[in-house]
Amino acid sequence: MSRPVLVVGGGPSGLSAAHALAAAGQRVVLVDKADRLGGAPILSGYAKLVPSGEWARDAIGGMVRRVETNKLVEIRKGVTVKSFTGSPGDFRAMLSDGKTVEAGAAILCTGFTHFDSVNKPEWGFGTYPDVVTTTQVEQMFSSGKGVRCPSDGREPERVAILLCVGSRDRQIGREWCSKICCTVSANIAMEIREALPRCNVYIYYMDIRTFGLYEDLYYWESQEKHRVKYIKARIAEVTSDGKRLLVKGEDTLVKRPISIPFDLVVHAIGMDPNIDNMTLSAVFDVKLQKHGHIEKASTYSNMSESSRAGVFVAGAATGPETIDDSIAQGQSAAMAALALVRSALLEAAE
Amino acid sequence: MPIHEKSLIRPENLVTHEHLELDGVDVSGHWSTFITSRAVTDYNEQMQEEIASLPGGEFIHRCWQCGSCTNACTINAINPDFNPRYWIYLIRMGFEDELLRDKDILWQCVSCNRCTYACPRDVNPEGVMKATAHWLELKGHTEKKPSTVFDEAFSEQVFATGKIEDGRVLRQFFARTGQSLFQDWLVQMIRGLVSRLPVGLLMKLGFATLKRPRTRGWADASAAIEEYVEECEANARKALRLDMQGAE
Repeated sequence: MSRPVLVVGGGPSGLSAAHALAAAGQRVVLVDKADRLGGAPILSGYAKLVPSGEWARDAIGGMVRRVETNKLVEIRKGVTVKSFTGSPGDFRAMLSDGKTVEAGAAILCTGFTHFDSVNKPEWGFGTYPDVVTTTQVEQMFSSGKGVRCPSDGREPERVAILLCVGSRDRQIGREWCSKICCTVSANIAMEIREALPRCNVYIYYMDIRTFGLYEDLYYWESQEKHRVKYIKARIAEVTSDGKRLLVKGEDTLVKRPISIPFDLVVHAIGMDPNIDNMTLSAVFDVKLQKHGHIEKASTYSNMSESSRAGVFVAGAATGPETIDDSIAQGQSAAMAALALVRSALLEAAE
Repeated sequence: MPIHEKSLIRPENLVTHEHLELDGVDVSGHWSTFITSRAVTDYNEQMQEEIASLPGGEFIHRCWQCGSCTNACTINAINPDFNPRYWIYLIRMGFEDELLRDKDILWQCVSCNRCTYACPRDVNPEGVMKATAHWLELKGHTEKKPSTVFDEAFSEQVFATGKIEDGRVLRQFFARTGQSLFQDWLVQMIRGLVSRLPVGLLMKLGFATLKRPRTRGWADASAAIEEYVEECEANARKALRLDMQGAE
């Protein structure tokens, strides 16, 4: 019997890789540093997912249960990998709990870290309680409490969503587009308009990148059915007049400065490279690319390879990624890892 | 190099005080001219809803400001200040003051509908122009245009009789717009008609002018039309939160 495949990270791509391997009869060891599986959608309490509209706890929760009940998958929670030595087909991983895992291959499904809005102090996060992040709004929905102003619990009458917070910004060394925030923001805007019909939602953007089929399903739908307003402006500053938040910037179309009162300001936060990527890079001896994500060896021939043979990578570990694409990449990496461990098995038999 | 921002200063925003002291400093006169802030301090969500409630304005909220309408526009080619894309934005954000600055050119739309066919989002900009001109009138921002006076004289007659008597429309139009009936071109045209048309036809025209015949059984249709027009106007006034009597 071949050695198990080590899957690092139990988010959408890790769950998908583990399931795909087990479905092919391959043993898997799934480790996660958190004490729960599910990754960002579960740990950060996402509400309804794009594009299915399913609740994260149902959709990703279902993936978790599917893996947890599979006898071929051994799960180690609250554990990190301390060292990873050996060669393809014959790796040895030391875990933080002192145990070792003999593995034929590894798949890094280590995901991302949400941008910390404190790093853009001019937009008021951390200064004003009514400046929140998209993740917090997701939690307001998933907790069932609804969207309220944290300062006094009132229903907001006007909400601003600022796009590209922690993305496309050389000032803070984040030159990438986080890919999902436009669509997530349009989705949140529609949910707010549905829950609070009297509340107007404004989205401040530089470009709208609701790519592919999200164009009409999210961008157009939010404008046409839900009357969400999109304003091309990068906001200069979020302050307060003592009662409400003031959003200051330039309205580029009328060439006039704006200083508009809002009840709630939402930062559409981007996806940073996982905060542990430097450690992961050292432990697994894989290269990071320019932005700090795990580097892929090739774009076309096998998308799952990292810079080290036998160590594969999938999902948001390689850069901002959607949940459904992360799941597809998890399966792709499972296929690559399976081919490796099976060929090692065949060679041993000869 | 000229300073671009200077072009953004509007004469009415320049303030000069004859006698003014600030913190003990004399700031009177031309050398201490102030410029009032241009900052926009609020949106008005109601304005888009008002335009959307008038016929033609229904799809204004679809606009994403690509400028296809303005690029396609017949009038914009002649008058660059005629900018439907811009006005749609002003309405959507509720920048009423900015829109009113253009109230005297906004009606120039000739309804060629080139914008309608250019618009990728089916905003129907031509309809929005119509709705906006209507809105300006209902709100009392613009006076009735001569063409509206003409339309009223025309449609009143149709509603009343089911027929059009051109002479009467013309007489009412000139009377209501305070113009002489004896326009050179009109006098010439009537002279021409009288000298060239067969006597029988002239007598028929004369009879129609004097007797104002109605379409047979028109009363029901007339009442139905009146009711519908009243309903439309009442809806428009309600949407604009105007009382039933008139603007203001």
